[in-house]
Amino acid sequence: MNKEEIKDLALNIMFDVTDKEAEDIENEFKTLDKMLEFFDSIDTSNVEEMVYPFDDPTSYLRQDVTSKTISQNDAMSNVAKTKQGHVVVPKVVK
Amino acid sequence: MRLQDCTTNSATLALEILKKNNEKLNNIVTFVEPTIKGEGKLNNVPVVLKDNVNTKGILTTASCKILDNYVPVYNATIVDKIEKAGGQIIAKASMDELAMGGTNLTALTGPVKNPYDLNRISGGSSGGSAVAVASGAVPFAIGSDTGDSVRKPASFNGIVGVKPTYGRISRYGIIPYSSSLDHVGYFCTNVKDAATLLEVLAGRDDNDMTSSFEEVKEYSKELNSDIKGKKILVFSNVIEAISNKDVIESFNNLIEGLKKKGAIVENVSFDEKLMRAILPTYYIIANAEATANHSNLTGLLFGERLEGSSIDEIMIKSRSEGFGPWIKKRFVIGSYALKEDNQERVFRKAQKIRRLIVEDVMKKLSDADGLIAPAATGGAPLINSTSTNQMSDEYLVADNHMVIGNFTGCPSITLPMGYTEGLPIGVNLTCNPFKEQTMFDISFAIEEITGLADKVKEDF
Repeated sequence: MNKEEIKDLALNIMFDVTDKEAEDIENEFKTLDKMLEFFDSIDTSNVEEMVYPFDDPTSYLRQDVTSKTISQNDAMSNVAKTKQGHVVVPKVVK
Repeated sequence: MRLQDCTTNSATLALEILKKNNEKLNNIVTFVEPTIKGEGKLNNVPVVLKDNVNTKGILTTASCKILDNYVPVYNATIVDKIEKAGGQIIAKASMDELAMGGTNLTALTGPVKNPYDLNRISGGSSGGSAVAVASGAVPFAIGSDTGDSVRKPASFNGIVGVKPTYGRISRYGIIPYSSSLDHVGYFCTNVKDAATLLEVLAGRDDNDMTSSFEEVKEYSKELNSDIKGKKILVFSNVIEAISNKDVIESFNNLIEGLKKKGAIVENVSFDEKLMRAILPTYYIIANAEATANHSNLTGLLFGERLEGSSIDEIMIKSRSEGFGPWIKKRFVIGSYALKEDNQERVFRKAQKIRRLIVEDVMKKLSDADGLIAPAATGGAPLINSTSTNQMSDEYLVADNHMVIGNFTGCPSITLPMGYTEGLPIGVNLTCNPFKEQTMFDISFAIEEITGLADKVKEDF
């Protein structure tokens, strides 16, 4: 993993890293690569991924009725820039 | 400080103490004027919340710059539960940025200090909450635990730290880190309070899709330190990897005490390859899930926004400035694990190894009442300490074994066990899913053996 690849990975999830940050992350990958060697030594054929601790269902389809809402004012209260109840952003279609 | 010691002026007094202590401990982000909103098991109890708990109308930063101006419009379910039971929220506590760390050195407001030695870390990520209890200011504080973020700081600060079963306490309104590993946990100073607090906090919540339907019991009324015939497994892989003699001696004394009380104690070893894979497995799953969970931190709908000529530019600028370097590191690793080319080899492989680790542990634990080991390899490290061999068994296994509680979802508790060079050291007990009563009963016995209930450090 080199600095350019690290910068690409960061940009994929919408942030920049400085050269110093990229260097630190490069070093972190060296340790991570060693740790991931443990992965290769473990046979996981026919093992299912574990996505949550328990398989018991705790969520169900519900009736399509409103259960919880917040007001428009509340929804806008943390937005940096608003106009007439809308979030203001730069033009998308130019 | 115990729940039962609280009187009508406790919240006001606690707020004063917190403010004074904060000058040295640096553990509080926001102070809150106490108000009484209900009546019940927490009457007059001052409460500190970790700053990733949404509180309506009160700044909630998760110790992260991008959330430095975020004021929630709703309460987390646990906030309503605490207030309905008479608890009075008096502060929001510092944490590792977005709960991603184990030191509390990454908080936006700077490092939290350990009351036993101000040159040492509090531990994290729930360090601010841990220190609020350990310094004697409050009898109860909320934390969250994704790897060991309640149970490790509990060890470093000589208090009780509880992470109940996955789904036992609602996570609705907690700023997430890793959805398959996140738990709400809490700190207090004795086992009876720990049992009472779970009665208040636990229970089904339709707003949290992972919330359990299991009945919430009267844990404090049922509390019983008679552990005759209880089968307790000693986690040998951890013991063998620890070099600190005080930790081993305190642990051995405790085990002798448990045997004297009639417990059946057996040593157990788990697959070494799997044990060494605990930390990398955790690191991959947690960072991948965090990368996805925090994609909503864009600066557009809430949080600090930096301007730009396009939506993309606003997001990139806001996120670049809004995250600390350690968070960026973790997100890049998450991004790497989730990249299409790597998913099978890295992310899915980690999820499969998680299953193997869980199966290996549960095969033995399900036939016993608890699994016990030191909670840390020693006392709290120095703030400036950097020397850790990240490939040693002491680090990979003994320093990170409590992640097993998050992988399995099993209830897990840390209790004070003794001291090394004047610093507290803790013991960790993990039990079977929803067997919190058993966990509290064995813990009650441990507390009798150690005599370390209600120890706090008020002078520092």
